[in-house]
Amino acid sequence: MDAAQQQLQSLTWSDAGYLAPEWILIAFAILLAVLDLFMPQRSGRSIIGWLTLGGLLTSLGFVVWRVLDMANKASDAEAAGQAASVTIRLMADSYRIDYFSSMLKIVFLVATALIVLMSLGTVKRAEIPDKGEFYYLLLPAVVGAMIMASSGDLITLYIGLELLSITTYVLVGMRKHAVQSSEAAFKYVVTGGISSALILFGMSYLYGVTGATNLGAIAQGVQQHAADYPALLYVGFFFILAGLGIKIAAAPFHYWAADVYQGAPTPVTAFLAVVSKGAAFAVIFRIVYNVAFYASSPGKPIADDVFLAVNVLAAAAMLIGSTMALRQFNVKRLIALSGVANAGYMLVPLGLSLKGMHASNFGEFVFYLAVYLLMTIGALSVFSVISKSVGHDEVGGFSGLYYRAPWTAAAMIVFVLSLAGLPVTGGFFGKLFILLGAAQSRLYWIVAIMVVSSVISYYFYFRVIRQMFMRSTIDNEVDVPATSGVVIWLCAIATVVLGIVPGPVLDWIHSHFSIVNDLFIR
Amino acid sequence: MDTTFSQWAWLIPLFPFAAFLMLLAFGRGQRMLGVTLGAASSFAGLVLSILVLIEHMTDGTAYYQYAFKWLHFGSVTLNAGFEVTNLTAIMLVVVTSVSFLVNVYSAGYMKDDERISVFFSYVALFSFSMLGLVLADNMLTLYIFWELVGVCSFLLVGFWYSKPEAKAAAKKAFIVTRIGDAGLLLGILLLYWYMPDHALDFVRIGNVFEGNTGVIAAGVTTWIAVLIFIGAVGKSGQFPLHVWLPDAMEGPTPISALIHAATMVAAGVYLVARTFDIFQASQTAMDIVAYVGGFTAIFAATIGVAQNDIKRILAYSTVSQLGYMMMALGLNSLTGGIFHLFTHAFFKALLFLGAGSVIHAVHTQNIHEMGGLGSKMRITTWTFAIGALALSGIPPFSGFWSKDMILHTALQEKPFLFVIGVAAAFFTAFYMSRLFFLVFMGKPKGDHAHESPSSMTIPLVVLAVLAVVAGFIQTPWNDTLGTWLTDGAEKAHGGGGLVMVISAAVGLLGLYLGWLVFVKGTIARDAVSSRAPWLVRLLERKYYMDELYEMLLVRPLRGLGLLLNLIDDYVVDGIVRAVGGTAVLFGRGGTRLQSGQIQTYGLVTLLGIVILIAAIVGRRFW
Repeated sequence: MDAAQQQLQSLTWSDAGYLAPEWILIAFAILLAVLDLFMPQRSGRSIIGWLTLGGLLTSLGFVVWRVLDMANKASDAEAAGQAASVTIRLMADSYRIDYFSSMLKIVFLVATALIVLMSLGTVKRAEIPDKGEFYYLLLPAVVGAMIMASSGDLITLYIGLELLSITTYVLVGMRKHAVQSSEAAFKYVVTGGISSALILFGMSYLYGVTGATNLGAIAQGVQQHAADYPALLYVGFFFILAGLGIKIAAAPFHYWAADVYQGAPTPVTAFLAVVSKGAAFAVIFRIVYNVAFYASSPGKPIADDVFLAVNVLAAAAMLIGSTMALRQFNVKRLIALSGVANAGYMLVPLGLSLKGMHASNFGEFVFYLAVYLLMTIGALSVFSVISKSVGHDEVGGFSGLYYRAPWTAAAMIVFVLSLAGLPVTGGFFGKLFILLGAAQSRLYWIVAIMVVSSVISYYFYFRVIRQMFMRSTIDNEVDVPATSGVVIWLCAIATVVLGIVPGPVLDWIHSHFSIVNDLFIR
Repeated sequence: MDTTFSQWAWLIPLFPFAAFLMLLAFGRGQRMLGVTLGAASSFAGLVLSILVLIEHMTDGTAYYQYAFKWLHFGSVTLNAGFEVTNLTAIMLVVVTSVSFLVNVYSAGYMKDDERISVFFSYVALFSFSMLGLVLADNMLTLYIFWELVGVCSFLLVGFWYSKPEAKAAAKKAFIVTRIGDAGLLLGILLLYWYMPDHALDFVRIGNVFEGNTGVIAAGVTTWIAVLIFIGAVGKSGQFPLHVWLPDAMEGPTPISALIHAATMVAAGVYLVARTFDIFQASQTAMDIVAYVGGFTAIFAATIGVAQNDIKRILAYSTVSQLGYMMMALGLNSLTGGIFHLFTHAFFKALLFLGAGSVIHAVHTQNIHEMGGLGSKMRITTWTFAIGALALSGIPPFSGFWSKDMILHTALQEKPFLFVIGVAAAFFTAFYMSRLFFLVFMGKPKGDHAHESPSSMTIPLVVLAVLAVVAGFIQTPWNDTLGTWLTDGAEKAHGGGGLVMVISAAVGLLGLYLGWLVFVKGTIARDAVSSRAPWLVRLLERKYYMDELYEMLLVRPLRGLGLLLNLIDDYVVDGIVRAVGGTAVLFGRGGTRLQSGQIQTYGLVTLLGIVILIAAIVGRRFW
């Protein structure tokens, strides 16, 4: 679509129907806010939590229904011999409902639902005074993430980003009486502000060069002007990359993560680690493959440099994340640093570009994101149960867990093995697919760095296992609330299933996702 | 071609796996359940394995493979399944027989341990993983089981976790072998990329590399082979990744017999044998294998001379014998390597179980605190003697035949390695006679020692019988194994009278010297240590390998972690404080933030961008 012809299309009623998942979440958020206001101060707020969960699952249902509908239409079109794209484009392509966004939305909604479920058993009023607020604020946050995944325009993209960021600032500071929490919230606001500033700065350069905000139009503009304004484009891309690098906590933009993860309530830590990170990845994916990919002209290989920068970030994140974790004994900081290393792994398929033989970047990325979701949320819910029992956040809390609560320990082993990338877990295949992809693209140095950093990471992951098996028991009862138990077991079983038969999931992604329809906005 | 039993071979690993699941579910507080299930499941596996082997013995061309579509990415389809060749058939029997005997033995040895059913569940899980590794028909499945085996070894070595040494050993075993595994993974990735159709199954790997058809460039072949070999080095305790194996002796003794003598450590040798076509396609890789093996053989044998812990001596002996196997493979003798693996599995398991019986009786592992056990523990003594003679290469025990074959090949291919092998054989005989005489002869040091229960002695007797007869399947006059294993490609090594004489003489010489020193006393025990104390010290400290690792790897890595944290805390923070301080000077009313850290993060971010742009974009403009 040519930028000059582009007109602002208003949202019609029929279009609005496509946005059902988002509307539902917003409606639930407003209703629950009102409900919270009218509920007596003393009555429990768990009902709000359950309603939040209900809203998330309803929304998830609509997303899944839409995906199935799209799949049906696609196969119908195929049967009729037409090569029709089933992508739904709203408001002049500024909001796209395609497989790319839908798959990510499923990941975000499942993650948030699990997080709400794990909070229901472990979040206590003594810790978080405004429990109602805590639950329904997750809804606008996840809407923000969904908008980021769906947007095909810099404006919608930025709105989604801010919606997600601002709600998470509040969520991080939910433990009002804990100094650590307020400090974390403050740090997160400032770092988040820096991130937004960098992204906006970069966006303004892209707009300046191309005169468009639509990603497709920018891609065309970039293709034309790459030779004329290389410096401006470099500034644009690199600042956006750095701003999003903060959001995904990739080294060297990761410093906030450990402090903020530690200070935030554990469910919010999980949200930051999975949803917030995943949404930022979605944006990087769009920017890199949709725009930067075209920014090349003879002698000015801007695209190659952007891909190289992504690779460098990936390498730095993997190495710095795993070495810094060696000396870390606080579980939440450990998760933060392991999250840095994992951000590095997930950046690898993003940095591979599309070369001849290899085009399954998105499949590798989304598979790993799904596995990362399961193992991180699973590990954090085990941790939240344990830290309740022992009263501190250190790795030592896991000592002798195998003898105190063997089944919970077994689940934790699954998560740790998966994080470390050992079979028979989803983490093994997640890493393996990324490695195979990198090997296929002949990016051997990144393969080597990935293998080295995962060897280093065994050292601190196995510290947890050794604590569970090879330490004598401390006599704290471990009381696993039913809701946490459900989360732990769902995650553990799914992790193992993905570690034995990853085929169907991967096949499904590959058979539906297509680079032309889902990524290239034209 | 009749494959009645081979097509059911997939059941063999499932027996122990079922036992593991049942123990996990019902094992708590059921002490006898572990023993029964462990023994029963491994016995079932043994019976089926023997049937499979017989099938392959009667029909040398019997072969069965089954695979199903497992993974599908891009244009690549990976199959998973199992494959029964002659090599896998013989490995199955080795693994299941030792595993069965160890299960029986553990019933006695672990009788008083309160976590006995946990122990048996770990052993069952290990047997499952090891058998899966043996049956795997492609590199990826093999790698998965390879890792599982490592995890089980970690759990079993650290089984007595209340001992700090056991914990440290478990960690060391895991991390060190992981270094090797990383090499193997890289090798698989490289193989994946260069193989036509990205096939990873052994059949097609064999087809591509066999006869060096040039489908894959020579340099790449060498890299693939070397990387795979690094994996084997880690698992099979070859220099320089051997350091974990002696420490792993902190685990229960039956485990040392099962994992660290007969099965897991042999997995590296098995891996090289399984991918032998790749190695044969690259002479460089073969030479590396041969020399690393030869060096390990002599290196570990000399260390064994100066150790005082009965199990550590046996551990270094294992390292050294694995070196022989690698050397044989590197010298292009698949038969030699596998033959030695086969005989070694029996006599070394025998020695470890015998050592366990001794430890069970005297409650120490220091050979200087033992003595005169010969009269009190007759069965243990006799069987141990047989094992020691087999290991020392004295005819007609099994170790003699397999070692003789390796030495003969070495003489023909690389005489230098022949000399090394003979020297290592001498040291082997010497440390075994030292061990035997100190433990079983001489004056008793305590009077409470008694023979072990029959559940422990019966496996000893069975293994002793095997240690005597196992060698006769391949002698200079009888080429059964070689023909069968390599389809007639490797010819009998015939003749070799001279090698046999040298090999036997060297073994006897070592034993005689040990007798002179430790029984007769003609040569003073401190004959060496009084003249060259540094030499004894060097051997006692195992050539300072652990210290070297600490200095070269562990400390720098920890240091790097510390450094990064310090940079975070001080350097970056310091810069910011300086910047902040200046700002405060300028604006007296400047607000003080709660924490100084936050500016740091902003500054680091900006520095990050600047460096990124300067490094990546800069090169385009300057």
